[in-house]
Amino acid sequence: MSRAVSRRHFTLAAAALAAPVVLPRESLGNDVKVDLVHLFSGAEHPIQKVIKAFNDKGTGVTVVSRQDGTTYETITQKAMASIAAGRGPAMMTTGWKLGDFARKTLGAQDFRQIFGPDRTQALLAKFRPQVRPLAAIGGVPIGLPWSMSTPVLYINQSLWTEAGLDPAATPKTVEELYPMVRQLQDKTGKQGLCYEVNEWLPQAFIQNAGGDVIDGDGRPVMDSAAAVKGIEAFVQPRRDNLWRVMTIPEMVAAYQAGAIGVMASSSARQSVVRQAAKFDLRLIQMPGLAGLPRRMNSGGNFLAVYSKVKEQQDGAYKFMEFVTSKEGFEIWLETGYLNVTTNDIPVRPGSEAAQAQMEGGLTSETIWPGARGLEALTVHIDWITKIVNGAVSVPDGLRSDRAAIDKLIAA
Amino acid sequence: MTTAWRGAWRRLAGSPWLFAGPAVAAAILFVWLPMASTLGLSFFDWSLLRQEATWRGLDHYRGTLANPDFHLALVNTGVYLAALLPLQVGIPLVLAFALVRVKAKATGRLYRTALFAPSVLSFPVAAVVWLWLFNPTVGFLNTLGGAVGLPPQRWLTDPDIAIWSVIIVAFWKSFGLNLLIFLAALANVPTDVTEAARIDGASPLRQAIDIELPLISPALFFAVVTTIIVVLDEIVGAVDVLTEGGPYRTSSNLLYFLYERGFRHFQFGEAAAVAVLIAAIVAGVTWAQFRFGERHVHYD
Repeated sequence: MSRAVSRRHFTLAAAALAAPVVLPRESLGNDVKVDLVHLFSGAEHPIQKVIKAFNDKGTGVTVVSRQDGTTYETITQKAMASIAAGRGPAMMTTGWKLGDFARKTLGAQDFRQIFGPDRTQALLAKFRPQVRPLAAIGGVPIGLPWSMSTPVLYINQSLWTEAGLDPAATPKTVEELYPMVRQLQDKTGKQGLCYEVNEWLPQAFIQNAGGDVIDGDGRPVMDSAAAVKGIEAFVQPRRDNLWRVMTIPEMVAAYQAGAIGVMASSSARQSVVRQAAKFDLRLIQMPGLAGLPRRMNSGGNFLAVYSKVKEQQDGAYKFMEFVTSKEGFEIWLETGYLNVTTNDIPVRPGSEAAQAQMEGGLTSETIWPGARGLEALTVHIDWITKIVNGAVSVPDGLRSDRAAIDKLIAA
Repeated sequence: MTTAWRGAWRRLAGSPWLFAGPAVAAAILFVWLPMASTLGLSFFDWSLLRQEATWRGLDHYRGTLANPDFHLALVNTGVYLAALLPLQVGIPLVLAFALVRVKAKATGRLYRTALFAPSVLSFPVAAVVWLWLFNPTVGFLNTLGGAVGLPPQRWLTDPDIAIWSVIIVAFWKSFGLNLLIFLAALANVPTDVTEAARIDGASPLRQAIDIELPLISPALFFAVVTTIIVVLDEIVGAVDVLTEGGPYRTSSNLLYFLYERGFRHFQFGEAAAVAVLIAAIVAGVTWAQFRFGERHVHYD
C-alpha cells in the first residue's frame, strides 16, 4: 500500500538525515570534543583505558582517540596533511625526536601562551626535576613529557643459563657483554644478540663514548672521534657474527620465539614482548663503554597541543591534569613507560632496570633541528644502516652523514 | 522560447560537443588541469602549511637529476621491469597453456582458483604472511634453506637481496591477473583451427606456438602494457609494506621516490619535478611499446 508523503514530513526527514553532516560535531552534545592522535594499536592499550577513565569522570570534555599510524614519523606526516586541510589534531603524541619540527613546522602550541605561566608551572611541577627540562623544545614548553623510555637489554634467561652464564650477571659495559653473548651463541646455537637499527640506539653508543649526534647549538657532530668510537662499538657484534641485522618487527618476532639470546630495545616495548615470550625474561640496564661515564638517552613522546581553539585547549589541559594524577599515571604505566612524575607509584615488575637507569640520569633523545628535520632523521638512519651493513666504514659513513645533514639544516 | 534561442538549441543539439562535453570537461578537470598544476608546481617551493610559493626555476629538475637516490630509484625501476615483465607475462602464459589442457573440470577450477587467489589480497594482508616467511631467524624460507644446507638470508635487510624479495612478493601477488587474461583469450581460440592442426599432426607445442599464440597476441600485448603499468605503479604497495624502500633506498623505485619526496618530506616542488620526469619516462616507454610491440599483434 502506497502512502503519500507530505511536504512537511519530507522536510523533517531530510533535515534529520542531513543534521549529522551539516551541524558541527560540538553541537551534537554539550561536551567539548578533543581528539587525541596517537600511534598505539589495540582496544586494550592503556591509552584507551586512560581516555575512558577520563571521559567517565564527566568533566565536560570528551577526548576522542584517533590512531593515525604506527610510527612517530607516520602520524607526524598525517598530522601535517590534516593541519594543511584545516582539520589538524587537537592533541598528538609527538615523538621527542620531532620536537623541533613540531614546534616550527606543525605549530605545536607554547603551553605558557595557551594555559598561562601559572597553570603551565603547575602541570610541569608534577614531573620529576630531571625530566622537566626535557619538556621544553628550544626553551619553549610545548609538551607534557608523559611517555619516557630508555634502551635496555632484554635477556632470554632460559638461553642465558643454558649457556652456563651466571643467571644474575649484569654486564656493565659492552666489553663485558660481547664475550657473554659469544658464549651464549656458541653453547646454544641461537643468535646471540640483536640491536635495533635506527637513530635511537646508536645515539646511546655515541653518547656513552663521549660524543653527541647534534650539539647544543643544533649542529650535527656525529662524526667526532668519540662518536666514531661509539659506533665502532655498536657495529662490532655484527662484524663478529654475533648479530644478524633485521628490522625491528623481525627482531621482536624472533626474540619472542626464543631465537635470540639478547635484544637491545626500548623499555616501553616490554608489554608487547612479554605477551608472546614463553621463556624467562630479564631486563637489565643498557651497558656503557669501558672506562667512560655512562650517558644513556631517553626517548618516547610528549603530548602536544595543536588546536588553536580556546575550548579545546582548555579541554586538553583538563585531560593533562588527569593524566599526570596518580590515578591516570598508574594506568599509563601499564605501557612500560617510566614513572617520570612525582606520584608515589610502586615500580611495576620488570621495569626496575629501566627505572634505575632513569634515576641515574638520562639525556634527551636527539631532536632533529630545522624545518627539514624529518628528512634529516631519515638520512641519518640511512647512513647508520649503511655502516651497519658494512657498505661504508664508520668514519666515512659518519662524515657523509654529517655533510648531508648540514645541507638539510641549512636548506 | 524565442526563435533565436530555438535556433541556438537546435545547433547545440546537433553538435558533437553536447555528447563529448561532459567527458572533455572531466578530462580537463581531473587529468589536464592537475598535470598542468604539477608542471607549474615543479618550478616552485611550496609550503603546505603556509600555502606560500617561492620561485625556484629549474632548480628542482637539476637537483633531482643530480640526486644519487633518484639515480638508484631509476636503476631499480629498470631492475623491477626487467625481472617482473618476463615473470608476470611468461609464467602465466605457460601456465595458461597448461591449464587449458587440463581435462578434468574440477581440477582445472581448483588450479585456477589457487593461482588467482593471491591477486585478490591487498598488499598489507599479503605482507603479514610474507613478513613471517622472510624472518631471517625464525622464518619459513630460511628454515627450508637451512634444511638443505643453505646459509640464512636477510631477505628484507640485505641491500643485495631486498629488491629481489619485493620482486618475489610482487610476482606472487600479481601474476594471477595475467593468467586470467590468457585463459580467457585461449578459451576464445576457435576449436576448428586447433582441431585441424591436430589432425594434420601438429604437436601440442607446435599448436601453442604457431596457432594459439598468434591468435591471442592482442591479449598478450594488453598484458604487457598493463604489466608495465603495474610494475611502474602498483609495486609501490609491496615496497612500502615490505622494505619502505630500504635498506638505504636499495629497493626503492621512481614512484616510491616521488612518494617520499612529496608525502614523507613534504617537498612538493621537488616531488612535482620528479612526477614530470616520471611522466616523460613513461611516455617514452609507452611510445616504444606501441612502436615496436604492436607490429607483432594480429587483430584478425
